[in-house]
Amino acid sequence: MTLTGNFILDQTLTIILYGTIVVLFVSVNALFLVWAERKISARIQLRQGPLHVGFQGALQTIADAIKLISKELIWPRESDKFVFWLAPILVFAPVLSAFIIIPLSQHFVIRDLNVGFLFVFSLTNISFIGIFIAGWSSNSKYALLGSMRAVAQNISYEIPLLLSTMGIVMAAGSLRLTDIVAYQNKYWFICTQFPAFLIFITAALAEANRAPFDIPEAESELVAGFHTEYSGMRFALFFLGEYTAIFISSAIGASLFLGGWHGPFLPGPVWLLLKTYLLVFIVMWIRWTFPRLRSDQLMALAWKVLIPFAMFNILVTAILIYYQKFFI
Amino acid sequence: MVSTLVKTNIKDWLLETIKPEEFSEKNLKVAGILFEALVPQNKIAEVAREYFSQGYFLESITAVDFSECLEIVYHFNQWGPAKRSCIKILAPKNASGAPIATAPSITSIYKAADWFEREIFDMFGVVFQGHPHLKRILLPESSTIHPLLKSFKGEPKGSDVEQCLKLLKEDAETFEITYPQSIKQQNNHYYLNMGPQHPSTHGVLRLLLHLDGERVLDAEPVIGYSHRHHEKMMEIQNYLACWPNFGRLDYVGAMSYNFGYALLIEKAMGVVPPPRVEYIRVLTTELNRIASHLLWMGTFLLDLGGFTPFFYCFDDREKVLDILEAATGERLTYDYFRFGGVDHDIPQEMVPAIKKFIPAFKERLRDYDKLVTKNVIFEHRTKGLGLLSKENALAYGVTGPALRGSGIAMDLRRDEPYSIYPELDFNIPTRTDGDVYSRYVVRVKEMEESLKIIAQIIDKIPAGDFKSGKLPKNVPKGEYYSSVESTRGSFGIYLVSDGTLNPYRIRLRTPSFSNLNAIIDMLPGCLISDVIAVLGSTDIVLPEIDR
Amino acid sequence: MEIDKNPDYLNTQSPAPGLVNLFRVEDVLNLARANSLWPLTFGLACCAIELMAGGAARFDMDRFGFGVFRPSPRQADLMIVAGTISRKMVPCIKTLYDQMPSPKYVIALGGCATAGGPFKYPGQYAILEGIDKIIPVNVYVPGCPPRPEALIAGIMELQKQIKEGKTQGVMSPASVQDSQDGRPADYKNAISRADFRKPFDPAQGKPPAPPAPPAAAATPAAPTPSA
Repeated sequence: MTLTGNFILDQTLTIILYGTIVVLFVSVNALFLVWAERKISARIQLRQGPLHVGFQGALQTIADAIKLISKELIWPRESDKFVFWLAPILVFAPVLSAFIIIPLSQHFVIRDLNVGFLFVFSLTNISFIGIFIAGWSSNSKYALLGSMRAVAQNISYEIPLLLSTMGIVMAAGSLRLTDIVAYQNKYWFICTQFPAFLIFITAALAEANRAPFDIPEAESELVAGFHTEYSGMRFALFFLGEYTAIFISSAIGASLFLGGWHGPFLPGPVWLLLKTYLLVFIVMWIRWTFPRLRSDQLMALAWKVLIPFAMFNILVTAILIYYQKFFI
Repeated sequence: MVSTLVKTNIKDWLLETIKPEEFSEKNLKVAGILFEALVPQNKIAEVAREYFSQGYFLESITAVDFSECLEIVYHFNQWGPAKRSCIKILAPKNASGAPIATAPSITSIYKAADWFEREIFDMFGVVFQGHPHLKRILLPESSTIHPLLKSFKGEPKGSDVEQCLKLLKEDAETFEITYPQSIKQQNNHYYLNMGPQHPSTHGVLRLLLHLDGERVLDAEPVIGYSHRHHEKMMEIQNYLACWPNFGRLDYVGAMSYNFGYALLIEKAMGVVPPPRVEYIRVLTTELNRIASHLLWMGTFLLDLGGFTPFFYCFDDREKVLDILEAATGERLTYDYFRFGGVDHDIPQEMVPAIKKFIPAFKERLRDYDKLVTKNVIFEHRTKGLGLLSKENALAYGVTGPALRGSGIAMDLRRDEPYSIYPELDFNIPTRTDGDVYSRYVVRVKEMEESLKIIAQIIDKIPAGDFKSGKLPKNVPKGEYYSSVESTRGSFGIYLVSDGTLNPYRIRLRTPSFSNLNAIIDMLPGCLISDVIAVLGSTDIVLPEIDR
Repeated sequence: MEIDKNPDYLNTQSPAPGLVNLFRVEDVLNLARANSLWPLTFGLACCAIELMAGGAARFDMDRFGFGVFRPSPRQADLMIVAGTISRKMVPCIKTLYDQMPSPKYVIALGGCATAGGPFKYPGQYAILEGIDKIIPVNVYVPGCPPRPEALIAGIMELQKQIKEGKTQGVMSPASVQDSQDGRPADYKNAISRADFRKPFDPAQGKPPAPPAPPAAAATPAAPTPSA
């Protein structure tokens, strides 16, 4: 992008501009998602949801956010102070930076990295380190149990998540998200890679700690899991991080399987957002429908079901690509 | 007649085993299904062993304070047609005062005796010799009083704040919890304190879990956080003033507890309520049973992580509560029954409301069946978990749906018939697996059966009086026992009356007390997630346990 | 434990003006706090069932923004003391209260949490007669148990107090107070006193709360944050 002609100044301005846009978008988006989740869950549960704070409770999450900012930040006496402080930042910042590779249209992408979505997955892994140290530094047994579960879950589900996308990478011949989306101008990958899509959604749910895989923060078991000891804005960062992670996963899913910006009549970014919110809605729908899995069942699902099927999917895709290059 | 045969067996066995100078016919009493005997203190272990071998479970142990001695009363009952035995021993009071009295323990025979004896130690100060860990159960450990002794005249006004400050101070001082030495040496084991404030302990239960990773090695429920001195309170109130206590004992299914107290006093006074009353009582009790099971179902599924069923169950529950509110004026802590009647007649619009409710609720039950019972995750979470064997159920005296989930069709509505239940056609659903899933299915089926009962009697409510005539204010001298099938199991009231306006002693045998005790053997081997499921499946209400 | 003779919460006046006065900011914060009262998932006895019913489908406390039940005290703003307080439970309640981040608010739900309720009798040995002897209470809701509508009315009363700046929430962990009858001095903020045994004394505070509205009319006027 050229703004002033000076390369360094241009770069700096771009970073600041995009940074501001991303932070604004993430905050507003997360607030909207929380509100949407509360309304959707309420509709599923024969309720109204937030209703009286603003139109249809639209200002509810803003009130919540302001209140959380103004709450006291508690340092548990036995906690490891520095790590305790670091953890929410480590959870939130990587998710934020993952935004830079989401292609809103062919050219509207902040950094079109050639390692593509691998970059997103490596960043979300950093946020799991944040979750782990949050549980560890709190010096509370519930928090520790929650973070242990989170780590086990993350390691298990990272593998099917990546394996499920390998078929697409092989078909598109690139890890770059713009290439993959551009490849889908004729048909979407959900048509040819439907099993992979199911595996992806399942693993993405688990990666985002969403029910029925929300065992790290299982409310009825571990009080509040890894963020049991966090109050105020630190807790809000975990919350924001969770909802942004859902959004990122859904955006990646929409780009990989649902044709990204492709769609008639409307501009590309609108299509991507629509598809992303559709996936987000499915994620919420699943959350309010199913009971929670147990931790050992969760591991069994990853290692005994998802990974073998993902491998099988790769095998079938490879064979098809090898013999009938035109087919996929 | 098998039952009489076994009964005479116990009687003959007693007469044979115990020396005639210590035990003779005059220590015996047989009244209906109740068999009473006063045996010497040193023989109680043998007697308990004999009862255990004959398949009796220990319904309750309690004590009554007479001036020179304490009478310790053991109630044994049998699965199937009720045959209650009331065995008493005397524990003379120590002249020196410490300990107040002593008695032999039967914990080695009945596991249920553990908590019962601890409760008597707590409330009366009776030291049970041979009890493995005799300590207070309902009152704080540092407490110094034995409140159910007649010599306890109450605490001075304002002492509640003083004692709370003392407890707070103790709490602050014992910040570091001291664990047993044997535990500390095993590095990879640790304790997890679940409760008293925990989203899934259904009130203020505290579970001390001894864990290896997430696997439970040992669990100890700590109760008493909701102790509300019901039994002491009833001793200082007159009989009529006890009604609100029965509404608040198990607030979720209060109607059956009302029923128990009404039956007790009617039995004692020899009153037979008019037929309309019986119909109203059964109708409201069964509606309340549905409401109670719905509340349980919602919270149980919430514990398993399913949020939405909670709201559906509560939606249905509100519909039941609307009907009950029209009749009783209350939503929760019902205080509706009276001696020989009910407080006021049911309103006209209640019958059409129930008729509208029945098909709608049947539809909902089908929905629950589709959405929950057949859900794969739900089945995986609940099947083969928290096994309650028949042996353990017997040893702990488990009753109610928890027992029926283990394959024993015991239901006092049929086994010890009261009111109009013998005339009604209903099944007693059972499952043989004894796991969490069975207990769930049994309760869901029970809702259907309750609905069936309601449908049967809704058109047959006879016209007539809703109250019998004026009753005397005091209950004739004697001992009385009544027992009903509450939502959680068999609820019994043991009344010792001295003929005055107040009860001399009322003992409440609450089913959740024994049912909760049984989870000690159900939890080892579970994961933390399973602890929640197992605990939820026992359907406990804490104030009913702590009383 | 030291008994704090002059705990902060006894001060019913607005806090003394500081070096920099941010009245508008404080107003906005109060508005946000009032509309986002997250209760602690915490029940003691009977009233807890009505608390659950208040959060469930028919009454749906989430409409007003106070339906987000947090299981961890660190994330809760409002402690609804729902049920009989047994003496054994008092240290736990106090710990939970101390663990909540300020500003924090307390509602005594039902007769037991207010004054001992039906379990109060001369010489009782097991309960604490009113939670306000241990922690400060903002609003008392009478009833045994109160209907969910009464609970909602109680929380709305608290919202009103917060919006008007009448209560700042408790800014420091409170200790046992030292007022004459064992009540906190700011009990005049409470909507009512529900003492089961004593007749109501008009000299002591405001009249009791009006009876709860019927279920059908359970949607009181909406508190809108935008002025």
